[in-house]
Amino acid sequence: MGDLKRGTITRRGLLQAGTAMAVVPLAGLAAPSVLAQGVSKSPTKVLDFMTNADVAKAEQEGQLVFYCHENEAGTAGIMEGFRKDFPKIQTSYVRAQTGALYSKILAERSAGRFDVDVLQLSDLAPAFDFQKKGGYEHYVSPESPAYKAENLSNPVGYFFWTGVDPAGIAYNTDKISAADAPKGWKDLLNPAWKGKISCKISASGLQFVQWYELRKLYGDGFWKEFAKLQPHAFDSRVQLFDRLAKGDDMLTSVGEYPAYILFKSRGAKVQFVAPPDGLVATPLVVGAVNKAPHPEAAKLFVDWAMSKRGQAWYQTNPNLYYGSVRTDAPPMPTGVKLSEFKLLYPSDWDEYAAQSPTFLKEWNGMLGL
Amino acid sequence: MTAAAASGAGPVSAQKIAGYGIAAVAAVLVLYPVFYLFQAAFDTGDPQVRPPTAYGFDNFGNLFQYPQILLNTLTVSFAATAMALVIGFIMAWTLARTNVPGRRIFEQMMTVPYYLTPLLGALAWSMLGSPESGFINQAWRALGASGHIIDINTPYGIAWVMALFEGSVAFVMIAAVMKSMDPSLEEASQIMGASRLRTMLRITLPLVIPGVLGAAIFVFAEMLGSFAVALVLGTPNRYYVITTAIYQLIQQYPPRIQVSAAMGVSLFAVMFVMLFIYRRIVAGGSYVTITGKAFRPRVADVKGLRWVLFGVCVLYLLASVFLPVATLLYASVQKIAVAFPALDNFTLNNFRAAMAMNAARSALGNSLILGFSTATIGIVLMGLLAWLIYRSRLPGAGLIEYVVMFPQAVPRLVFAFGMMWAWLVFPIPIYGTLWLLLIAYLTVFLPLGVRTIAGVMLQIDKSLEECAQMCGASWAFRTRTITVPLLIPGLIAAWLLLFIASVRELGASILLMGPHSKVITPSIVESWFGTASELTATLALIQTLVVAAAVIVMVLVTRRLAAEPLN
Amino acid sequence: MPSQPHIEVENLEVLYGTVLAVRGVSFNVLPGEQLTLLGPSGCGKTTTLRAVAGLEQPAAGEIRIGGQPVFSSGRKVNMPAEKRGLSMVFQSYAIWPHMTVFENVAYGLRVRRTPTGEIAEKVHRALDMVQMRQFADRRASQLSGGQQQRVALARAFVFQPSVLLFDEPLSNLDAKLRADMRIELRELQHRLGITSLYVTHDLEEALAMSDRIVVMRDGLVEQTGTPDEIYSLPRSAFVADFIGSANLIRGRARPDLASGDLVALETADGQVIYGATYGRPAAADLTFSVRTVHLQISPQRPPGEKNVWPVRVEKTVFQGDFSQVHVAWGIQRLIARCAAMEPIPPGREVFMTVEPRRVVLLGD
Repeated sequence: MGDLKRGTITRRGLLQAGTAMAVVPLAGLAAPSVLAQGVSKSPTKVLDFMTNADVAKAEQEGQLVFYCHENEAGTAGIMEGFRKDFPKIQTSYVRAQTGALYSKILAERSAGRFDVDVLQLSDLAPAFDFQKKGGYEHYVSPESPAYKAENLSNPVGYFFWTGVDPAGIAYNTDKISAADAPKGWKDLLNPAWKGKISCKISASGLQFVQWYELRKLYGDGFWKEFAKLQPHAFDSRVQLFDRLAKGDDMLTSVGEYPAYILFKSRGAKVQFVAPPDGLVATPLVVGAVNKAPHPEAAKLFVDWAMSKRGQAWYQTNPNLYYGSVRTDAPPMPTGVKLSEFKLLYPSDWDEYAAQSPTFLKEWNGMLGL
Repeated sequence: MTAAAASGAGPVSAQKIAGYGIAAVAAVLVLYPVFYLFQAAFDTGDPQVRPPTAYGFDNFGNLFQYPQILLNTLTVSFAATAMALVIGFIMAWTLARTNVPGRRIFEQMMTVPYYLTPLLGALAWSMLGSPESGFINQAWRALGASGHIIDINTPYGIAWVMALFEGSVAFVMIAAVMKSMDPSLEEASQIMGASRLRTMLRITLPLVIPGVLGAAIFVFAEMLGSFAVALVLGTPNRYYVITTAIYQLIQQYPPRIQVSAAMGVSLFAVMFVMLFIYRRIVAGGSYVTITGKAFRPRVADVKGLRWVLFGVCVLYLLASVFLPVATLLYASVQKIAVAFPALDNFTLNNFRAAMAMNAARSALGNSLILGFSTATIGIVLMGLLAWLIYRSRLPGAGLIEYVVMFPQAVPRLVFAFGMMWAWLVFPIPIYGTLWLLLIAYLTVFLPLGVRTIAGVMLQIDKSLEECAQMCGASWAFRTRTITVPLLIPGLIAAWLLLFIASVRELGASILLMGPHSKVITPSIVESWFGTASELTATLALIQTLVVAAAVIVMVLVTRRLAAEPLN
Repeated sequence: MPSQPHIEVENLEVLYGTVLAVRGVSFNVLPGEQLTLLGPSGCGKTTTLRAVAGLEQPAAGEIRIGGQPVFSSGRKVNMPAEKRGLSMVFQSYAIWPHMTVFENVAYGLRVRRTPTGEIAEKVHRALDMVQMRQFADRRASQLSGGQQQRVALARAFVFQPSVLLFDEPLSNLDAKLRADMRIELRELQHRLGITSLYVTHDLEEALAMSDRIVVMRDGLVEQTGTPDEIYSLPRSAFVADFIGSANLIRGRARPDLASGDLVALETADGQVIYGATYGRPAAADLTFSVRTVHLQISPQRPPGEKNVWPVRVEKTVFQGDFSQVHVAWGIQRLIARCAAMEPIPPGREVFMTVEPRRVVLLGD
């Protein structure tokens, strides 16, 4: 099945890798093509963005296979955007929550199947792991300069942050009055919510981040108290909000902002709460996969996703509503800029990744598995 | 029976080639994945490393960490079996033994819930019976009460839906028992002066009970392996049974392969034992007087009770067919499904979205193609197997029967688990393609197809084939000119059965689907877990309509085929 | 002129499950003759027939057709049924419902790749012989029992086999039809000159149709002979009773009364009866068999010394063409079959007599 342990990335390992890569640019100044695999070319402009991919070849390949953590509608939405701009490339996708998705692609690769072109995950830990395993294709997009270094892989060219998914608390306004509504994270621990609160399953990157961050803020006891509420866990935010809108749950501890916008627009009686301590957020990372069946299409997609055009699509598609981290990104459809939110996410991704087994054990145990 | 008569002039004959060839195919299909399943269950080494480094029983020991899951499985299965038996018995008795009006129509309709699929039933009942958002509960609250009147997400709710949609086999079996009873046994009792009730208790019931017992065991085994209903109704409430637990454990990160395999093997062991006991009861004791002839059982005139029973039948159909379909329809035309929607809540957007969903369109197309292929290849494969086991008298044929019936004892999900591994390492790249699903379907439907065709085959008088032999016809000639033409109505029925079974298949497909090989029923499940429930309802409806249309077309086409006499 | 037997069965043993259904049966069928295997159900006659056909595999023994072994346990020969060149009429007729009458009959010819024109000619001729020509294009499933039977027959001989096997072909017909078909079958068989091996449990059928009969019981042969031999000279109590109704009389031999071919026995209650030995050995205890039809009842004492007794009528059973008169003969009850007459009231004293030649000494 391949190496599935999240905590196999060591600081030393990263340091070594970083040092090694630091040497190369100096040595390879004369040959910048070393950084980009395959044919060395200068970037070409297609539509309104730059790409190092051979667009003609990509269209000849005619297909793109996309593995994504998003729910069905979201993944289909991403594909729709790409197809609109490149109608000659047929898209197909597999979606599964990040944990399941990652296991799947590793299983396939360990059996010698390389069917995936691009991978999108909602958690950095597996992304690091995949990079270490050489799963990502090393491809530096000409759109990279539009991103801060912290939002790109280290070294550049493995993956990038295609967006950020912030989450607070959301509740059903018919079931909970404004007075009783939770104001901050600690208000989640109210025994009145027992059996009526939802969260996400352990395969979710966002859930892992939330666990990690709130544990840091409020200590070990926080989640133990939370477990007493016997929450219902689900795979996708659509499910969480579907139930919230219908009143099957009174509130959800992982109220993703994009989902809130979507459901509110449909007339659901839901309300979003941004806890003063901050919203938990996870980066959504995209990267082209090594030994892809359609390498040029993969590269083209990465460039498209990184571009203003692609980012605009990610930000405005109702099934996505991601917050873009592109330095020149416009505000989200609601007018709010991502930078206006106080976002909580791990500063030390290493330590975060190392916590994975603990998280899984506690979270699965809480859910009865 | 006497040994093979004229089973081939020399060591190699057409018969033997066909017979042993098909036996080999069946053996590979069934045993190859089972091997991998067992290997994973006994693998106590590092799960990441293949082939396994260490073997042991540790994984089975770990099962005891999940006593709740085992308990849940037993609770739900027992409850569902009990309910299915009660429903099955009442319906069987009503339709076979009383003069309730509309018997024939009701009997035809008894199998409709099976075709609607337990998944659809679970989806619909979830919409009806969720404590907060369920339509029934909303109506209840509208009447002024508070809280909810039914909660479908409880073990008994799950058992209820299972019984409704997976329990029709109980009806079929008990009805068969009732129909094969010699009515003169009861007449004798009544002539001697016993009242109808006494006759029922002292004559009918004791004769029927062994058959009912057999049905109970069979149904229980089926319920143990049930997946769709527990997935939709149980998972949201953290209520796991073994099959859904396996599914969750595999989907987890990292996937808990070994303990899932151990669970699967344990479940299989229990089901195997149950089915073994069942076969013993059915084969050993013919307490029920099955004399080979189909009797017309005495129909009792129940006078006023007729209409009560009529109501019961209608109620059953309401709960299992009309209400679920209506609910899905109702939900599919709303933005956010509620019991009493405001006028602006109605929309056709869900249909637009569903039709536009690439996955839905390709999934539906794939399912139809797969259904067609499975059915067509299936009847050839299973026809040959049925012939091999029940007619050929080639040595070793009895063993093949066990191999072929094997998949019955293994829940589809668990079987697919083994297949996942088996075909992943197979040199020809079929993993992730429709070919894999085809192979999977052919394997898991072996018991169904072989049994159906065998049933028809055994009805053909042996002397018809023997006569052809005496006229000098070789095995190949008489199979072509006599056996196959006589089998055609049965083959058509089997074809339809296989087609429907493959389109509605969930447990195996959900594990083996790939990006280019999506099929419809698992797609509906994915939609349930990943999109709005209204959209899911729409998809489920579309699937039902398309399948129903396909079946009607097939029936019309084949009716014409079967009507032409062969010259 | 003795001719080479057409069918030879030697020491045939056939298993049914784990039980021997046929335990060592031997007989021959001469060319053109009809040999009938007769016996109660379970005696192994059908199994024997099917073994000859090749539809059952014997455990031991040998079967030769026209001198050729088609089965031999010793020489390890087992020819498949379709190659033996035999033909068979089944009890259930085995008419193929998905074909027309014509196609049913033509099947054997098609297997032999007979040219089409010839097929039509032969089929029509065969159908004429069984008077089914006008049904040629009818769907076979639409025929009555008797009609199907005829078609089965036509189908069986259309390709001119040398041997015809019959597995109780008339048992599914009603009594009147059976009687008529018996005669027709016999005539057909004579006309075609086909060697026939016939199986039935119906005594009348066997007696009417056969050249020779093999009586079987429990997997063994009880007696082989012509119908008359079997009827008049049964060898055992079983055969005597099975073939027509017989009275069995047991007693002690009275050698002092024996003369020539005649022997006498005395029953336990002192009745003396004279019978013929027909060459069979006479022991100290004898059993006689007397057919009911040979016992004569008369109100007055008939003339004669031997075999005349006064008896009392117990009851009379009216059977249409004849009556069964049950009489008390000493302590034993005997049954006499008398031509239709006024019923004799029970209790009446009458006289009973029987010709000594009609009283047969049984072999065992």
